[in-house]
Amino acid sequence: MVKYVLKRIGYLLLTLFIVASITFFLMKLLPGTPFNNPKIPAAQIAILRKQYGLDLPVWQQYLNYMVGIAHGDFGESYQFAGQTVSYLISTRIGPSLQLGVQAMIIGTLLGILLGAIAAIRKNTWVDATATIFAIIGRSIPNFVFAALLQFWLAYKWRLFPIALWDGFSSSILPTLALAMAPLANTARFMRTEMVDVLSSDYIELAKSKGESQWQVVAKHAMRNSMIPIVTIIGPMAVDLMLGSLVVENVFAIPGIGQQFVQSITTNDYPVIMGLTMLYSVMLTVVILIVDILYGFIDPRIRLSGEGN
Amino acid sequence: MKHRYFAIIGTVGLAAALLLTACQGKSGANAKSSADTTWSRMEKDVITTMDPSLITDSVSGQAAADTYEGLYRYYGAELEPGVAKSVVKPTQNGTVYTFKLRNSKWSNGDPVTAKDFVFAWRRTVDPATKSQYAYLYTGIKNADQIMAGKKKADTLGVKALDDHTFQVTLEHAIPYFGTMMVSNAFYPENQKVVDQAGKKFGTQSKYLVFNGPYKLTKWNGTGNSWTEVKNPDYWNAKDIHVNKINVQVVKDASTAMNLFQAGKLDDAQLDGDQAAQAKSQKDYKGMKQSRTTYLEFNQKKIPAFRNTKLRQAVSLAIDRQEFVKKVLDDGSISTDTVTSSGLAKDPTTGKDFTKSLTASTAQYTAFNLAKAKKLWQEGLQETGQKSLDITLLSDDTSAAKRSAEYFQNALGELPGLKISVQPVPFKTRIARSMAGNFDMVISGWGADFPDPISFLDLFTTDNTYNFGHYSNKQYDALIAASKTTDATNETKRWTDLRQAQELLTKEEGIVPVYQMVQSHLVNPKMQGMTYSPNNLYNFIGAKIK
Repeated sequence: MVKYVLKRIGYLLLTLFIVASITFFLMKLLPGTPFNNPKIPAAQIAILRKQYGLDLPVWQQYLNYMVGIAHGDFGESYQFAGQTVSYLISTRIGPSLQLGVQAMIIGTLLGILLGAIAAIRKNTWVDATATIFAIIGRSIPNFVFAALLQFWLAYKWRLFPIALWDGFSSSILPTLALAMAPLANTARFMRTEMVDVLSSDYIELAKSKGESQWQVVAKHAMRNSMIPIVTIIGPMAVDLMLGSLVVENVFAIPGIGQQFVQSITTNDYPVIMGLTMLYSVMLTVVILIVDILYGFIDPRIRLSGEGN
Repeated sequence: MKHRYFAIIGTVGLAAALLLTACQGKSGANAKSSADTTWSRMEKDVITTMDPSLITDSVSGQAAADTYEGLYRYYGAELEPGVAKSVVKPTQNGTVYTFKLRNSKWSNGDPVTAKDFVFAWRRTVDPATKSQYAYLYTGIKNADQIMAGKKKADTLGVKALDDHTFQVTLEHAIPYFGTMMVSNAFYPENQKVVDQAGKKFGTQSKYLVFNGPYKLTKWNGTGNSWTEVKNPDYWNAKDIHVNKINVQVVKDASTAMNLFQAGKLDDAQLDGDQAAQAKSQKDYKGMKQSRTTYLEFNQKKIPAFRNTKLRQAVSLAIDRQEFVKKVLDDGSISTDTVTSSGLAKDPTTGKDFTKSLTASTAQYTAFNLAKAKKLWQEGLQETGQKSLDITLLSDDTSAAKRSAEYFQNALGELPGLKISVQPVPFKTRIARSMAGNFDMVISGWGADFPDPISFLDLFTTDNTYNFGHYSNKQYDALIAASKTTDATNETKRWTDLRQAQELLTKEEGIVPVYQMVQSHLVNPKMQGMTYSPNNLYNFIGAKIK
């Protein structure tokens, strides 16, 4: 097990190195410069480029970058003068993380529930309703959903704050808006998987042993149906936790989501790199954790390398 | 076992119910009581820096104008003394400005002296500071050489004659020099604080001191909200009646509108559909921006556009009134001139510059399709062309795309003109404009300082930003005269500027289309808040009734 994990961590570092390198060269291909103000005279742009070390040969910039990253130094943002990338991310990631975690919990719990109920009541009106609900959740873009929630629950009925980041109550509507996608995804997976499981031999065996339907579902079907969901939860959680441009804009949340887009439109190289690396680290680590978890959840799955 | 399943459903259901009821009653309109002197406004973006030498965006610019004070300040369109005791007249043929400074203090108790200006100005032009607006210093003695790294920053033409006398020496007269003194690039800086903070200067409230009407608090450098509280040490603190300004970043216009209607914002900035919707409301206020949008022809790539009649035809084929009403519908107004209205008063006429033009400019911009077609055909004959097939480059925002489609249709009425539209991201549009890689482009320009020259300079033959290479010797001569021989003669200078503007509109060197207006909903309890030609609010003297 230890050997397996170490090996995986090795691969993880290699992956990050490759991601960092590809990102660096893709950034260099971005049109424009960090100094997009057309009014700055060309001579002054040349001076600025020199000050920022952007006039160096690309290989040298690449080396400086990689050495910095290896030391955990992502440099300073171009948009925010004097602000380090790590400070920028650390001050803005809090609300995104909180919303992501909340949305994940609500979304997956309700999704599992909805999917399970649909599967148990397969081909009834319950199933049809749940499926329609899941389709709506999948297909309505979250900015529409966010705007609807804001208009009805906050503006018309005054149940929640309209927007702004001020305590737990202001996190509820954005959480619901964000939870729709994981809810629908989980429900769909859960239903498909559960329908399969419910028709398998060991369920028949359990039933023939005289267990009630609820016992069968709770003890055997639920647990086995949740295995594929563990696979999708990881990447979904990372996506959610790193913020959503749209939901953050609608609810005026001071999160990191908008920086993903803004750093690219403003050619803020250090921030692009910082956020890409953060995303990659979170994703690869989550995938690793999921793989390790598999062994615990499902004894049928054996980790390669184990037992050697 | 049955119960466990229900227990799960029950718990989840209960949790959801708790969530839903958790914080009711916290929202709701907060009507202002008469004693409340807090103002809640919004910005569409965050403050990026509070280092006066580095600020380039309007959000940081507004926060800086609220918390710092330069030599002068705008009260609406009026230029009034700030740290300087009076608005001074230059000597030595317009090349020397001697500012007498009033007694005033930084928020840490230090006096504001001439040395603070000398320090700040040298710091701004020093390439090591990486200021993007240092180019505004061009014309101050040695500024260009310092920026190019050829001279030391302490050779800049600025001097502290004593603690309260600050002298600036220019290389040549700059008639609009006074209007630039309101810009953050010319604010004073407290050397002690800058040195102490080092690289952190300007990055968080705790690394700053202020000499303006407000102090910036609760700003962590990257956050979506900040607060400005009255600075009791400000020299004119008695005229500050709004004690606190809360600022929130709200990017979505529909959210802004909802927050305003619910009383959570006193001033909401809107665009698009929300602006169109708000225009009919009684709390609507349109803030004219010193920014014009125009069509630019690439006369180098498509020589036919050197023909004046063809350009005039394009101008006459556009129904600007219909365009701003039906296509933009965001409060923006049509314009006959590239110089924006409300930018500068012509001191020789006492009227706004755009209203002071003698020859009627309207005849070259008023929609007249019949005349446009006639001019177009004559133009084609004169250039020996049968038809023109061109691409119109534009930004890829939804408003820009709609604009481009409108021009495509309107100009399609001209016989033999075929236009295809190419929307690209802002960065790409700028890069292609600079490289001359376009046929016709929807361009825009915002004034750097409130003087017509900030617009008119662009269209001289050698100007870097004259992307379309319009060239007219008479125009060049008028602009040159306004800066040299007539620079110190107010009447002659403004006559030059008027004639240049008239000529540009008549020739349609570029085709002016509209002036941007920013739409706001403003709580009517606010009185006396002014908006300046540099597109910033001034809260001094304002009262909440």
